[in-house]
Amino acid sequence: MKLLALLAVAVLVALPFVVGSYVVTVLIFIFFYAYLGQAWNIVGGYAGQLSAGHAAFVGIGGYAAALLSAHAGLSPWIGMWIGGALAALLGAVIGYLGFRFGLRGFYFVLLTVAFAEICRVVALNVDAVGGALGLYITFTGNPRQFQFQDNRAYYYVALVLMLASTALVRSIERHRFGAYLTAIRQDEGACEALGVDTLRVKMRAMILSSFLTGVGGTFYAFYLFSLQPNAVFGIPLSVEIIIRPIVGGAGTVMGPILGSFILSPLAEISRTYFAQGGWNGAHLIVYGLLLIAVVLFLPQGAYPALLRLARRRP
Amino acid sequence: MDPTLIGQGLLSGFLFGGVYSLMAVGLTLIFGVMRVVNFAHGDMMVWGMYLAWMLSVRAGIDPYVGFVVCAVALFLLGLVVQRGLVERIVDAPHEMQILLMLGVALVLENAALVTFGPDPARVRSPLSQATVWLGPIFVDLARLLTFGLAMALTGALWLFLARTDLGRSMRAAADNPYGARVIGTDVRKVYGAAFGVGAACVGAAGALVSPILPFQPTSGLGLSVTSFNIVIIGGMGSLPGAFVGGILVSVAESMGAVFLSPSMKELVSFGLLIAILLFRPAGLFGKTAG
Amino acid sequence: MSSGNKSTNRRAFLKSAGAAAGLTALAGFPAVLRAQAPTFKVGVVHPVTGPLAEPGQACRLGAQMAADAINAAGGIKGLGGARLELIFGDTQTKPEVGRTEAERVITQGAQMLMGSFDSGSTAAMVPVAQQRRVPFLVDIAAADPITANVAKSVREGQQKVQYVYRNFPTGSSFGRKAVQYFGEVFKEANVSPKRVVLMYCNDLFGQNNAKGFQAAHAAAKPSWEIVDVIPWPEPPQDLSTEVSRAKAAKPDIIAPITRPASAQLLLPEIRKQRLDIMGIVGPGSPGLYEAGQIAVLKEDLEYVMASTPWANFRNPRTQKVAEDYLKRSGGKTFDTNSGYSYDGMSLIADILERAKSTDPDTIVESMKKTNYANGLMQYAGPIVFDEIGDNPNAVTTMIQILGQKAVAVWPKEAALQKFVFPRPKR
Repeated sequence: MKLLALLAVAVLVALPFVVGSYVVTVLIFIFFYAYLGQAWNIVGGYAGQLSAGHAAFVGIGGYAAALLSAHAGLSPWIGMWIGGALAALLGAVIGYLGFRFGLRGFYFVLLTVAFAEICRVVALNVDAVGGALGLYITFTGNPRQFQFQDNRAYYYVALVLMLASTALVRSIERHRFGAYLTAIRQDEGACEALGVDTLRVKMRAMILSSFLTGVGGTFYAFYLFSLQPNAVFGIPLSVEIIIRPIVGGAGTVMGPILGSFILSPLAEISRTYFAQGGWNGAHLIVYGLLLIAVVLFLPQGAYPALLRLARRRP
Repeated sequence: MDPTLIGQGLLSGFLFGGVYSLMAVGLTLIFGVMRVVNFAHGDMMVWGMYLAWMLSVRAGIDPYVGFVVCAVALFLLGLVVQRGLVERIVDAPHEMQILLMLGVALVLENAALVTFGPDPARVRSPLSQATVWLGPIFVDLARLLTFGLAMALTGALWLFLARTDLGRSMRAAADNPYGARVIGTDVRKVYGAAFGVGAACVGAAGALVSPILPFQPTSGLGLSVTSFNIVIIGGMGSLPGAFVGGILVSVAESMGAVFLSPSMKELVSFGLLIAILLFRPAGLFGKTAG
Repeated sequence: MSSGNKSTNRRAFLKSAGAAAGLTALAGFPAVLRAQAPTFKVGVVHPVTGPLAEPGQACRLGAQMAADAINAAGGIKGLGGARLELIFGDTQTKPEVGRTEAERVITQGAQMLMGSFDSGSTAAMVPVAQQRRVPFLVDIAAADPITANVAKSVREGQQKVQYVYRNFPTGSSFGRKAVQYFGEVFKEANVSPKRVVLMYCNDLFGQNNAKGFQAAHAAAKPSWEIVDVIPWPEPPQDLSTEVSRAKAAKPDIIAPITRPASAQLLLPEIRKQRLDIMGIVGPGSPGLYEAGQIAVLKEDLEYVMASTPWANFRNPRTQKVAEDYLKRSGGKTFDTNSGYSYDGMSLIADILERAKSTDPDTIVESMKKTNYANGLMQYAGPIVFDEIGDNPNAVTTMIQILGQKAVAVWPKEAALQKFVFPRPKR
């Protein structure tokens, strides 16, 4: 019921006034990764074009906004759209090369990884963008520079990002565009036979997805105050982006959110309880086992499993 | 440009290609037969390396002998992973397959961290120190040996696939799983064996390169990425492709190190990868099917 | 897809349940904080997993040992004998985890922070320290902007107080000292090498250090030239072509900046390719002196020199701590990482003694007035903090591997043995 959804949102809005800064930080990352996951969901979930290189878009968006802020004094509130546009440009290039040349499945995955790695190596070696040292953002707490003295302000920005992207995906799902995406994922050949311009549809999905991810890059840069090529273009970040929607259910509206709400607290709890002893790395073993368990027991994702459970009730 | 440098670069790159080929062979076999992408490939190889290291340090067994043990151990691991995990999600969407192997990779990497600690290790073998000089150019004997072993392993695998029943079943299952079932092949057993044999290759490769490559628990990711590159360039599922692909990538990187800045040599292999993906996605030796 | 009542019910329920579950789990934490005697909690955050696990684990152990020693000696008398209690965090070598861990340890009661080795995580923790007013001592991190940015922010009035201070040589000071030592060593040895090839690992530390070295060289204009600069991707799988390139430049000296993995590839390669050089003299990096590295590389490390932050082994206290460290770490050398974390913790104790209060601003005042001469590392003077928040007396020492042991060889005040340069012909 819409009422319950509104209630949930109200709870989330009220939460920062009740809980401490640590929980707020954990929730910020939950929302932020849900946002990135939702952006990925458009092209990776709905359209079924698995990209494991989305970190490239985060990086480009973040670097663009950070450089514009440092060298041109441009507020990141404006810079983030430019960053998003540049990321969308790269997305268009990758999309065109991949889709035009008919790369499917694992081949497309590897194309996206290759581009992300190229971005990473270039960023490591070009002094103008900071090289391996990366870019550092001065902490001023000035909202005009997309910085806040209070952690809770970031919370609301991240919450808005998550809700807005979810609303967008929900809207896509209900319109023809969404139907096309799902159809392409299920059987692209049939779509083409029916006269759908699959290249155009996929390109739109890719551009939208990379644009949104690029915008997220600005949040990343101005929340973590530094951009290092290995961290922000690297495969581990791409992995973090995709595991949440996959666990939650790729190609569903609630998948990225559910996945994020499951995985982030599990990672935190795992690290808190297993990382104190002398066994460094035990918490990540636990986390890996959890991922395996999710795949074995919820092979369609958490959200579809939940729906099935709900439907079984009389 | 110094011609000696170029010549040395070519030779070093060529010989190191043997190392790369070894890494890629197991991966291409698994993909060729099962269409499964083993994202835990690099981490499995790291375990092969650590096992070789333990044999060398605890039992004094040289890795050029001990690799057999590593192959067997990894074969069992592969079998367990395939039967216990991969088989159960054979009908699940692609992304679930990726997630599964990522989980396995995470577990393997951190199990290595907990067991062996974070320090980089290398296996000392008397051979790894030897060189032979041809005028101004030198030949690294350890790499020459590894190159030879890569050829031998690839050849042995080729024979296995061509001449043995199990091997032929694997090829049949690779080409046409449905058809293979129709003629009575136990596809489940074949898949298990394929994953196991592929893992065994990875284990052997790890042991054989452990005197050459220093390794840490976190080395897995880099090895995976390199192996994927090689396999795509050479052609997924093609053994000669893995062999030639390994040499090609290694020589390309070496030339990148000679003519560009060595810190950018990875760009050369990624550029090559993109070119192959666009113009000949089946790879150099892959079948240009649909 | 139908969005029936039940599915929306579930969705909303799960959202709030998720948040509630997280809350409940964390609500358990305050129970843990019920302390017995007065304690002062310090959050100690390092990368103990991930690519930087090896130095991170060394840092954690160094910090623990220092805290144990301080508590054994009666704790912080200025705070009524309060014991130091360490709350550990693991950044997993990721900036976002660094930030979350900083928040977590502060929520669990940490009133000061120490960490965190890699500059990305450290930079992510800076805003937490500034936002929540928690004095943050950076024990190890080389990127200059970490403290410089905060200082700038305070100068321009955007922030009231600087809570971030660093006791470690900055990237630029590494380079200056290295060039200085190079010149002094050559002069003392009465040789004048002309051609130096700089080879470095292309990660944050390597690139930063290499740039600093080149800048210092350009400023000092010594009699030797850097004839080639060869960076490699870290960690590398193969360095044979890089070394061939170095050889083609006909070097007198190879100046490497490595990490342990790349050192294990680089040094044997230099020998295999028969580079005819006076010596290997590094501007300062890990990988060239640790016990584990010596065990793996053996003769390949002999006579290698490096200008690196080092412990002052002339101090008998240092020797005792190093012996303890050897035992507790399972055979590792007490070096840069463990050493600076140890000194960082001792420094925190000193700051608290003089502050006599747990109020953050009072602690910061005490930090600014630091003048601590009991550090175990080699310093050029007592530990003090300048206007940026760095310690200008944190310097490097030239060490050399002699007889399969790392010893300080330059400057004379720090030297335990005379250096051997040029290295003997094989």
